[in-house]
Amino acid sequence: MINLKGIKKSFNKSEVLKGINLKIEKGEVVTILGPSGSGKTTLLRCLNFLEKPDGGMVQIGNIKVDTEKATKKEMLTIRKQSAMVFQHYNLFAHKTVLQNVMEGLIVAKRVKKKDARYRSELVLEKVGLKDKLHHYPSQLSGGQQQRVGIARALALNPEVILFDEPTSALDPELVGEVLSVIKTIAKEGITMVVVTHEMSFAREVSDRVLFMDGGVIVEEGTPLEIFHAPKEERTRRFLQRISGDSFFPPLKERVN
Amino acid sequence: MTIDIPFIWTAFKEIIKSLPITLILTLVPLAIGFLIGLTVALVRIYKTRFLYQAANGYVSFFRGTPIIMHIMVIYYGIPLLIDQVSSKFDLNIQTNKIPIILFVLIALSLAAGAYLSEIIRSGIISVSTGQLEAAYSVGMTKYQAMFRIVLPQALALSIPNFTNLFVGFLHTSSIAFLVSEKELTGAANIVASTNLKFLEAFIAAGIVYWGLTIMVEGISFLLEKKVTSYSRGGVS
Repeated sequence: MINLKGIKKSFNKSEVLKGINLKIEKGEVVTILGPSGSGKTTLLRCLNFLEKPDGGMVQIGNIKVDTEKATKKEMLTIRKQSAMVFQHYNLFAHKTVLQNVMEGLIVAKRVKKKDARYRSELVLEKVGLKDKLHHYPSQLSGGQQQRVGIARALALNPEVILFDEPTSALDPELVGEVLSVIKTIAKEGITMVVVTHEMSFAREVSDRVLFMDGGVIVEEGTPLEIFHAPKEERTRRFLQRISGDSFFPPLKERVN
Repeated sequence: MTIDIPFIWTAFKEIIKSLPITLILTLVPLAIGFLIGLTVALVRIYKTRFLYQAANGYVSFFRGTPIIMHIMVIYYGIPLLIDQVSSKFDLNIQTNKIPIILFVLIALSLAAGAYLSEIIRSGIISVSTGQLEAAYSVGMTKYQAMFRIVLPQALALSIPNFTNLFVGFLHTSSIAFLVSEKELTGAANIVASTNLKFLEAFIAAGIVYWGLTIMVEGISFLLEKKVTSYSRGGVS
């Protein structure tokens, strides 16, 4: 379904991705964890050619592209296989909520306006924004904006939705509403790749967790394996650092 | 020397008859300049091969030299060029039959194009790259993303700069009187010298220019309010 072979990417001679191999099955929810600078966001952006990999092969659905020889047309075709939800929402500021969702359908997918509108209203209802159709992004809260971002991706009915730290820019109290929307669509069997720092979310939703560090996938496994029995030292240290409470030994030990 | 206040009104009525010429000399160059500027801005943003250097040179030259010089060079240069070509190929074009206003319009359009290209370019740059990436991520082409997502916002953001240039060109059009084009300043000069009342005539011309500018500012204010309404937040 998604198949990456030997994906490499460097920025100014510093190698960010050192040959990533990854297979993702249809309907699978994969989360990518890792310290900042580990290349997880770059990997995600290489999947839809927002960054053009320096080498390797990308396959999504039936479209297969050799990144070294990728033409503009190939890049566009493979991009249309996926949709992305961004950390900073990146909604089209001059378009209303409804127009934001319809835009890709009408312009890129050439769906008739009436059908696009129908479909857009449907997904907006799913993310709980039916009453905000004609608002501009600037009139919405962060959580609402990100839900529009999710609706925009969902409306395209892509092979895979890529989430790039979808809750990192949100106020803590708004994280929940966005995560619950993502959970709902995860249950519908849509293939998702999620870069996140929300450990409990990763544990609860994903079928598989990847841990990346230094441009390679250090470890992968089910959430149970990664969170409760990590094999690699680097994974263990990262998880310890992330969950602040593990700095403190359990209460019982302290009492004794 | 005394000031003849009632004559200001007389001069005003005479000078305002030249308003259409001033308006033509302002609006036409800005309209043509907009098309030039948009093209040049896109060439410079996308760094199109060969054209890129030409566009840079064009902007550098026309912003780096005074507009009065463009008018003079084109006013004296183009007829010379046409005469040479026409005598070589027996085309029999009479350059003195070409209306002067055409030369002025060409010169002002080229200058406006250079200034507008920089305004449009800065507008494009100020739209966040995130929106461009989002446009790509939903499958838009470079062209679709530019014309549907980036440019509408870039142009809306540029309205204060456009107004600035509009007002500037309204006043710059007065240079045309140097090549005997009878626009507002030219008319004021004629009224002044035939009546020997310079102060009154130029005060009258000043009132016309100022009035026009106030109107332009008002229109710009309303337009800006309307087209950037999307960016004024507030949860409603």
